Amino acid sequence: MRLLTPHEYPGTLICVEGIDGSGKSTQITMLRDWLKSKNVDVIHTEWNSSNLICKTTKMAKKKNLLSPRTYSLLHAVDFADRLEQIIKPALKAGFVVLADRYVYTAFARDAARGVDKNWVRNMYSFAIRPDMTLYFHIDADISLNRICYNRTPKFYEAGMDMKLADDPFKSYKIFQTYVNDEYLKMVDEFDLIKIDAKKSIHEKQVYFRELVVSMLKNKGIIID
Amino acid sequence: MTKKNHEYQGLLIVIEGTDGSGKSTQIELLKRYVEDLSYGTLISEWKTSTLIAKAIDEAKDRNLLNATTFSLLYAADFADRLENTIIPALKAGFVCLLDRYTYTAYARDVVRGHDYEWVKKLYDYAPKPDAVFYLDLPVETLLKRIIGTTGLDYWESGRDIGFSKDFYKSFQIYQTKILEEYEKMKNEYNFITIDGNQSKDIIHSKIVSHMESTFFNS
Repeated sequence: MRLLTPHEYPGTLICVEGIDGSGKSTQITMLRDWLKSKNVDVIHTEWNSSNLICKTTKMAKKKNLLSPRTYSLLHAVDFADRLEQIIKPALKAGFVVLADRYVYTAFARDAARGVDKNWVRNMYSFAIRPDMTLYFHIDADISLNRICYNRTPKFYEAGMDMKLADDPFKSYKIFQTYVNDEYLKMVDEFDLIKIDAKKSIHEKQVYFRELVVSMLKNKGIIID
Repeated sequence: MTKKNHEYQGLLIVIEGTDGSGKSTQIELLKRYVEDLSYGTLISEWKTSTLIAKAIDEAKDRNLLNATTFSLLYAADFADRLENTIIPALKAGFVCLLDRYTYTAYARDVVRGHDYEWVKKLYDYAPKPDAVFYLDLPVETLLKRIIGTTGLDYWESGRDIGFSKDFYKSFQIYQTKILEEYEKMKNEYNFITIDGNQSKDIIHSKIVSHMESTFFNS
């Protein structure tokens, strides 16, 4: 499986993972702007954002049309499209590619939905192993407070399709705890770097930059 | 109805074959035959899910697909039809007549360069059909049939793979490779192979005779 062996592209692939409200998007955006200011060639790609399919997926989510398996397959389509169109070309051109969510999001969510783990891993076996993946860990109730302080959790983010609870807030906590459990199991399997997301934005960014600087240094890229 | 390969009450009958092999004609004839026996029928064709079929057509029109997204989109179409249409019908005791099944994906995806095991695993949750009728046609006949009806299509000619710049040649190479994949699957999946060069009535009577002796003989 390619996910377990280092890639041979000149570029660098850095991913952030974690449930909503863990602050990962803030962190990767800050890192992107900083790398740009240091004249590093960098691109940024987000989960479920390919032109090919993300509109279909969003429409289907709105209408609650997806089963755990079709949910899983459509996200894999999105990922496969971005991998070929965005990630691989940029890695070949020597860019630092910053991915806001990667295959581990699918592994965690799909497993939490009861889809067979080996089936999902096989489906994504064409994916490239990242050079570094940070997992921002935060408890589901803190995530809920951050994300849903002024709105109800959406159907799929609350895992309402799993019929865990009638109340979307309650369902969110149960479902996202399952997702976190899956992430935690992957820390060793895929060498994810676990970060305590309760730390301040500044503290997390300082640590993130340290990790990135030393990794790039090993690849011969010096940031001053 | 007897002899089932799955836990459901109904029957899962598949007709496979390349484009232009006469699958949809046979499905229609088979549907009438089964309905005359007072069983409910469901026809489900490849790439017809409400969820995703339109997105596939659009992507194909705009040549947006690579081998992996091609494969996964069809897998999503299949999963949606299976879960929302086919399995509920099987549970209700319908005879489900499928125009193409997982074997189409195996053939097309492998010809597009995917690993056979990878594709097989992608569909490993699908119930095993009770019968697979394979309409076998030599590539020359296929070419004539398609050129004489719908004409050559970009994807049916495998032009995305880049076998040849010549449209006709590309079609020939692509369909030959697809036939080779079907050939390999014949034994593995117990295809009931029928010579597609015969008249539609003869083909139908062969299908019916198998159906009678296997499922409706009591």
